[in-house]
Amino acid sequence: MKWSSSLYFSDSALYYDASMKTHFFIAFLVTGIVLLTCSSLAQTVVIVNTSVPSSTSFDVDELLDVYTLNKAHWEDGSRITVFDLKRGKSKAAFYEYIGMSEEELQRIWLRKQFTGRARPPRSLSSEEEIVERVGRTPGAIGYVQNQSVKNNRNVRVVAKIKGTK
Amino acid sequence: MSRFFGTAALLLILLSITAMGQDSETLLFGSLQTMFFNQKSNVTLSAPLSTGAMNISEERSTFAVQQMDLFLRKDIGESFSAFVDLEFQLNYSSNNRWGSMSLQEAWLNYEPTDAFSVKVGMLYPAFNNLNEVKNRLALLPYVFRPGVYERLLSSLYMSENFVPEHAFVQISGAVPVEQFFFDYAAYVGNAESSYISYSDSYGSPVNDLDTKFEFLSGVDPNSFDVKLFGGRLGLRSRTENFKAGFSLTHDYDNLNDTTQFPQMYTGPRAPLIGDASRVRLGADLSGRIGPVNFESEVIKVLYDHEPAERRDIELDLLFYYTMLGYHVTDRLFLYGSYEGGNSTFDEKWKRNTVTAGASYRISAAVAAKAQYITYRQFRDEALRLDEVVIKFVFLGFSIVL
Repeated sequence: MKWSSSLYFSDSALYYDASMKTHFFIAFLVTGIVLLTCSSLAQTVVIVNTSVPSSTSFDVDELLDVYTLNKAHWEDGSRITVFDLKRGKSKAAFYEYIGMSEEELQRIWLRKQFTGRARPPRSLSSEEEIVERVGRTPGAIGYVQNQSVKNNRNVRVVAKIKGTK
Repeated sequence: MSRFFGTAALLLILLSITAMGQDSETLLFGSLQTMFFNQKSNVTLSAPLSTGAMNISEERSTFAVQQMDLFLRKDIGESFSAFVDLEFQLNYSSNNRWGSMSLQEAWLNYEPTDAFSVKVGMLYPAFNNLNEVKNRLALLPYVFRPGVYERLLSSLYMSENFVPEHAFVQISGAVPVEQFFFDYAAYVGNAESSYISYSDSYGSPVNDLDTKFEFLSGVDPNSFDVKLFGGRLGLRSRTENFKAGFSLTHDYDNLNDTTQFPQMYTGPRAPLIGDASRVRLGADLSGRIGPVNFESEVIKVLYDHEPAERRDIELDLLFYYTMLGYHVTDRLFLYGSYEGGNSTFDEKWKRNTVTAGASYRISAAVAAKAQYITYRQFRDEALRLDEVVIKFVFLGFSIVL
């Protein structure tokens, strides 16, 4: 009985193994397709309130000046309100894009705040909050993953961060 | 009693501003630094005291709230902002008459563009690197700042002789040039504080020089040509990892008041009486390359005072410091610094300070600091006569409020 039981078990295991290989392959394929689809959708983008002049340049130097608080006004003289994420992939991608570390930016922000030169960026917890606050604050700027923007009519995507596809 | 009511009224104003902070967008924030320090000093004399002693040694230790600053900021429309810095020093208590509370900055800024702004009110003028942030202890790795900026050394270094303390109107801006900003600033302010009328022990305004303003205290009764004029030109990288500049001021040193002479000056005072024309020249260089941080300043004070020239008394002053640091990690910063110069009029006394320190950032808001300092002033290098050596150990916490 022991032998037959053992053989039976062995057959079952072989059957189980072949069946699982197929399942794993399909799961792997589906996951890969989903990940590829998501990664093609997930890109960090810079958004501004629609009140920001459309003629404004948003190259890396401009974004650096905005986030180091060296640029406090848009071309039409309106005040810039900067939003920042507390954490997340978008934050890492955006900081890498402008070539600054979190420690460097915090040092600069604190010096400008303490000398009265600028108010520090508002740091928010979620991308949804960023989109919502940028949308209802004239002159505001922030960064999020592109799918977080959805169809918010009060924000405009002005730059796409390279290398985040 | 009036001090109590004054402090209470101030707290009420601060609390009411905090309460309406969300509506009016007024920001209330600040910094605090607590410390423990141990000081061992040794004075070597060239001639014995009446007791026969040629050496005096002492040691002291204390805990203290070194400084707390409360800041208020309000953006007004697109181009205006207002800023207030209220400073409390050394375990401040009006009840016990400990420490001091003072308004360090209170100004309105008009900034129509990033390249031009005008500040009006009491402000720290642009002079070298540290003058604008000298009391923002949370921004500095030090517990004990470079000599001319350190309030705890005010009896040895008279800050006002080296740096302009306050100005009242400043035009400034930053113009982008390739990967840099060209910074400029020009300002005007009152004459140094020894010219300003003050209250005597009975509360009556006093000014030693001019009776015209004796109905007010805290004002400068001098004519406009005695005021402070100055400016700074500088270059700063877009990433703020490099900064350099030249500064210049012109004002007058109040030698009418002989108590304002540098403490170590042993020469004749009476013949020097007058308003001494003074030019302060400054140069600063600071930055970061990878994990290495550097910071240095030179200040040369040039006098043009006929009574001193006639007697061949050298009044010019010099101060310099340099700091080299290394970011071991994002949180831990180690540094060493050296400073020197002379802060007396006759140049017989020289001084230098060597420092080693560490700053550890526990969180974004809290940093632990430690600093070891050897301060030395001496009259004769070769014979080591009349030498004062003070060794300090400072331990402290810096907190962003």
